[in-house]
Amino acid sequence: MRRNLILIALSLLVLLVQTLIIPQIAILSIVPDLLLIWIVYVALTRGQIPAMTTGFFLGILVDILSGGDSMLGLSALTKSVAGFLAGYSYNENKTAQFLSGPQFPLVLIFVSLVHNLLYFLIFLQGSDLSWRTTILQFGLPATLYTVALAVIPMFAFARHYRT
Amino acid sequence: MLKRSYDIILLFKEYILLAFYIAVALLLLATNQTSQVRAMRAGLLSATGALQDVFGVVPNYFALREENSVLREQNLTLNDEVNRLREARLENIRLHRLLGLKDRPAFRYLSARVVGATSQNLRNTITIDRGLDDGVLLNMPVVTADGLAGRVSSVSGKYAIVHLLLHRDVRVSARVERSRVNGIVKWTGGRSLSFANVPTSFDVQEGDVVITSEFSSMFPAGIRIGVVSGTRTVPGDLFRAVDLSPVVDFDRLEEVFIALHTPDSGRVAIDQRP
Repeated sequence: MRRNLILIALSLLVLLVQTLIIPQIAILSIVPDLLLIWIVYVALTRGQIPAMTTGFFLGILVDILSGGDSMLGLSALTKSVAGFLAGYSYNENKTAQFLSGPQFPLVLIFVSLVHNLLYFLIFLQGSDLSWRTTILQFGLPATLYTVALAVIPMFAFARHYRT
Repeated sequence: MLKRSYDIILLFKEYILLAFYIAVALLLLATNQTSQVRAMRAGLLSATGALQDVFGVVPNYFALREENSVLREQNLTLNDEVNRLREARLENIRLHRLLGLKDRPAFRYLSARVVGATSQNLRNTITIDRGLDDGVLLNMPVVTADGLAGRVSSVSGKYAIVHLLLHRDVRVSARVERSRVNGIVKWTGGRSLSFANVPTSFDVQEGDVVITSEFSSMFPAGIRIGVVSGTRTVPGDLFRAVDLSPVVDFDRLEEVFIALHTPDSGRVAIDQRP
């Protein structure tokens, strides 16, 4: 119970940081997705169901905070799929190894790519924007930026687990 | 039988849960404009708006000096323009009366500070520190001194979220100021807009200013939107592709103005008649 409460509190904190601070480090309108980094972390440390659930509820909150657009439910869908996919990498005996090694960014790259592909596929329905162009201009750079940001906690984990 | 079903559910619990979450998400996508969802948005917006208000102070402080200098210069130029426009307006009123035309109502503008911005996954929105308590309502236009910025898409007691022009859901009925050609302004990705539905034979040139037209029930007429940056004809297409550069600098929004304009109910009623 206590672990779940901590997970909820930290998830809300991550959402706050994503909403309030991350936009300040945007590069040409591209921002990293701290929520995806958090979902992958939850997947590697706690498994598929916690990661999916975290992704679903964080996604709903993100959709609500995006204003009255017609896409409430989209982030919930894509982030729960992201949590599901990332959860396949869960191994309770190798958590420390995965968090501090190349597995963390590799899983994040895969999950982020699938997340962005699915997101823009649905988001651009009924729009004149080209899906391919949007992926190349926004989806891929956002993935790279997200993985670049994930290097910071990865080094922190590596230092923590080696001492 | 029951035990077998239970075993199957346990075996595939992750997939069942994923299917449930996907089903709920799709249901939300299909029914997201209900009053319950709007109430949820308003509640959450009140909380996050207040936090954004607090965090927004730090980056703004360092830009104040430069902003002051720019604003003083703009003030001088605008004062001069106001004097000339005052004369033109008086002449316009006299001519309107001579022709017996209806006067267009002037709008009240409410200033608002931008306390937050989101540009994640193409959802370009800003959060402003005005809400229902200040008279802000859904779909009210939002402008800057340069031109049209967007419209209010979600509102709580003290804060509101604005969908910028750079959003897939924002389309504006517009016209070219010089040649009065009509069209629709929509977002084409990045910082670009397009002026669509313009037949190839109509007069639109690079450098033309595009403004909101009277055909829109949501935006008042005459607000600058963008400048034509290029036109091209696609062989076999009846319409011309017209690119617009927006007049508003969306990367530097710090203060905006909400036009306290609500659509004329009589006009909306007649527009909606079959």
